[in-house]
Amino acid sequence: MERRQQEAGPGAEANPRAPPSLRSPQRKVRRPGVGRGAPPPGMSTSLAVAAGALLALLGLGACCSPVVARSAWQARAPGCSQRLQHPLRYVVVSHTAGSPCHSPASCQQQARIVQHYHQQTLGWCDVGYNFLIGEDGNVYEGRGWNIKGAHTGPTWNPISIGITFMGNYMERVPPKRALQAALNLLDCGVARGFLRPKYEVKGHRDVQQTLSPGDQLYEAIQSWPHYRE
Amino acid sequence: MRKARFWGLLCMLFVSEVQPASDPDEERYEYTEGQSLTLGCPFNIMKYASSRKAWQRLQAGREPLTLVSTDRPTGNPSEVRVGRYMLTDVPREAMLHVQMTNLRVEDSGLYRCVIYHPPKDPVLLFHPVRLVVTRDPSATLAASDVPTPNAANIPTPAATKNLSSAGSTTPTQHLPRSPTVVSSPDPGVTFTNVTSVVRYGFRGSRLLLWVSVFIFIVPVVCGFLSKALVFIVLFAVTKKSFG
Repeated sequence: MERRQQEAGPGAEANPRAPPSLRSPQRKVRRPGVGRGAPPPGMSTSLAVAAGALLALLGLGACCSPVVARSAWQARAPGCSQRLQHPLRYVVVSHTAGSPCHSPASCQQQARIVQHYHQQTLGWCDVGYNFLIGEDGNVYEGRGWNIKGAHTGPTWNPISIGITFMGNYMERVPPKRALQAALNLLDCGVARGFLRPKYEVKGHRDVQQTLSPGDQLYEAIQSWPHYRE
Repeated sequence: MRKARFWGLLCMLFVSEVQPASDPDEERYEYTEGQSLTLGCPFNIMKYASSRKAWQRLQAGREPLTLVSTDRPTGNPSEVRVGRYMLTDVPREAMLHVQMTNLRVEDSGLYRCVIYHPPKDPVLLFHPVRLVVTRDPSATLAASDVPTPNAANIPTPAATKNLSSAGSTTPTQHLPRSPTVVSSPDPGVTFTNVTSVVRYGFRGSRLLLWVSVFIFIVPVVCGFLSKALVFIVLFAVTKKSFG
């Protein structure tokens, strides 16, 4: 599966693969001729470091996939200041109803387009969504976990994370990698304490008068484990 | 004895949630007397924007008691107040706001927001709400502090003009007619003995000790033990592969 090429965003975890010390060539040299009783001192310290790193990753939610940071998609600086209170109960899923994108390059451009529309045309402090999902299977950082979004109105913005799928999903569904990227993002949110473990997913049309997130995407999210109408 | 305690703690490792025995779907709200409860019950805008909503108290062995309910809304925001209860229905935002002011200890119990559309069964909104109201620790021991049962949740006639109970055909009790309807579910709360105010309903300090052990110490130990277990397994596996 084609995956992200970008550097992990702020707050993303260390590489979920094993830390380098476990794959260090030093290990293989020491193996022969070492007494079976006590482990050689160098090995035990690197083992301890490895175990410590793994434990730290486990504690921090090692399953967090990287998110494409604002700097990576060349976002304009945000001007928003209102923060969200964690853990949040709700996630609202919408679609941009705009053009889809299928590669990191085109999705980065699409994210900039959405931000431009929100910031310059609508005069908002930043792109309205907390996260944007591209058909390339990447998650693009919008306002992120900490800043209140502008996606669902004054009642829901302070109490939810707004994620949007870039495209129009009235007559087609997003590809599986996009849906999976969104689910991974939400798992990460729980692991890191931004979402309650029993958070609820709502479709945009469940809580506002709108067609968003589109008939097909709305049907898809209704089978998500945390969806509640 | 110590070994038994150790195994008991180890068993707790496999218990995912350490909570007082209650429905895990309940949401617990704790307040002290005089404070107000506010919460939001979302509803599906497509299905229930024009439906009636209600705030009910659930009592064991009885029909749910509707404390306050909305009129037939026109899709515009509406507010209904009955005594200390207030409902604000904002259909355009798919949210029902509930407020209970000036909380009393006897308000403690189980409540719920519902879509109220008899004869169909009510639809639960949000989660059942477990309300726990405790006495203010700095309350004086004077007998005048004791709230009289008569002063509890009797709605004043003037505020009920929004409710038309005459047309109600539902089996649920609509308004409390006598003070005995509101009973305190809290086991240990007594008002008779002035010195018992200090205990705040606990059966003894020993119970308090064990509760605090289980609530604070066990999750910490569980977290540590589970991580230690992972560490031990990883250590064994890597030691095995490297000789």
